[in-house]
Amino acid sequence: MNIYGWIFLILSWSGILTLGTFCFHRVFSKKEVK
Amino acid sequence: MHKPKRESWGSRLGIIMAVAGSAVGLGNFLRFPVQAAGNGGGAFMIPYFVALLLLGIPLVWIEWTLGRYGGGFEHGTAPGIFHSLLQKNRFIKYFGVIGIFGPFVIFIYYTFIASWTLGYSFYSIKGVLAPLGDQASIQSFLRGYQGLEQNGFFKSIAPAYMFFLITFSLNIFVIYYGIRGGIETLCKIALPVLFCFGIILAIRVLTLGAPDAAKPGWNVGNGLGFLWNPDFGALKSAKVWLAAAGQIFFTLSVGIGVILTYASYLSKGDDVVLSGMTAVSMNEFAEVVLGSSIIIPAAFVFFGPIDIQAIARQGAFDLGFVTMPLILGKLPLSSIFSFLWFALLFLAGVTSSVSLAQPAVAFLEDEFNISRKRAVGIFAAVGFLLCQPAIFFLGRGVVNELDFWGGTFCLVLFGTIETILFVWVFGMDKAWEEIHHGADIRIPRIFKFIIKYVTPVFLLVILGAWFFQEGLPTIFLKGVSEADKPFVLWTRLGLIALFSALAIMVKIAWRKRRKRA
Repeated sequence: MNIYGWIFLILSWSGILTLGTFCFHRVFSKKEVK
Repeated sequence: MHKPKRESWGSRLGIIMAVAGSAVGLGNFLRFPVQAAGNGGGAFMIPYFVALLLLGIPLVWIEWTLGRYGGGFEHGTAPGIFHSLLQKNRFIKYFGVIGIFGPFVIFIYYTFIASWTLGYSFYSIKGVLAPLGDQASIQSFLRGYQGLEQNGFFKSIAPAYMFFLITFSLNIFVIYYGIRGGIETLCKIALPVLFCFGIILAIRVLTLGAPDAAKPGWNVGNGLGFLWNPDFGALKSAKVWLAAAGQIFFTLSVGIGVILTYASYLSKGDDVVLSGMTAVSMNEFAEVVLGSSIIIPAAFVFFGPIDIQAIARQGAFDLGFVTMPLILGKLPLSSIFSFLWFALLFLAGVTSSVSLAQPAVAFLEDEFNISRKRAVGIFAAVGFLLCQPAIFFLGRGVVNELDFWGGTFCLVLFGTIETILFVWVFGMDKAWEEIHHGADIRIPRIFKFIIKYVTPVFLLVILGAWFFQEGLPTIFLKGVSEADKPFVLWTRLGLIALFSALAIMVKIAWRKRRKRA
């Protein structure tokens, strides 16, 4: 894989993992009232 | 007559898992890698993420909000939800028929396809698939299983039919137990298991190195390169942008009507912005991280840079059901890895198929005021009957026809209609306020502009381009053999009858409602 391939892979994966971490952190940090 | 209280989700994580379960399907693991590899590799991710931002995420927020809004009026499906947007208009509810018709039509063939993965899981663990060492044998196994030919592997379609019955019954069992007891419980178990299986398979593939010492170039790094090395020239092609937008559309389960129904079981003060984004992030993890790490790199290391191009062109299903068993058969502990692969696809399939069943059941419950048990009974009887042509006339173009109308045309059309209704009929200011009711995060203001102008235009462009590129040839039966034409036309007539029946049911339901009022 060339350098551009690695850049696209790392940017895509890290973007998605960051989004997921942010969302789940916010979801779990709020206490649910039912 | 006393109307029972509508169901609700047991927890916030429950609906997030259910929506993610609906979105994560066979397409994440089979369609995405093929689309990316064939449309510019890494460069495909530019239009892909642009479409995610301008089309996918706005549509997700629109559907979650519309669903929750309609649920406040005790409507769980599109006819009632659209009616609650503009109660004076007597016609608006008929647009919503597409939101019941589409998922029901997809359910008819999707359940059968999901059942193949259960069958293949069984044959994997039994050790039947591993010894099939060449493409022709596995192809023959698949055709025999599907009932397309009698061969040394299968004398009839009976085994496939048995796995279909198990899958169909599982779907009915889950929806019978309702939103909280059935769908939420299933997704809370199935999704983590699915992700575990996906991670195990991805690690196995990514640690393959170069299995053939004589061919060091056939390694995982180059396999990832086949999918990720960008071809920037592809960005000039409208086809690539359209393919990326289409992939986003299909992967997020938008435009079907499923999210509307799921979100209708939320309360008015429940957040939709963060929950919607969380479900999107789970789907994207399954698609971009896991989907790109399994099938294409594995195919590359065993077949090399020349054959992989032909393999990627052969289509998602052959890749999943023919190439993948062949690849997994070459690994140590092949039966276990093959089982993990098909079990992963089965879990992805069944969490999607239950979501496709729910709109029709919710329609019967909410608009005809009948109990869940009876609604599920009616759905099971009608659904079971309608599944039969997809099973027995699979090779006659019936499934392609169902997929065209239910799984493609209705999705794009319905997505366009709901966006225009929400933004332009309901009104953007009201819509923006409604989205933010109980929201845990504020959406950047730029999205107000995007949702109002960019998303509808994007949708209209996709609808128009797709209609001329793929719609017209399919409508005029281009490429359909003379022998298959009667089957395709009968299917089309059946679909018209089903759509008409649903429209009449909407009319009857509203007439009854007026009488009650």
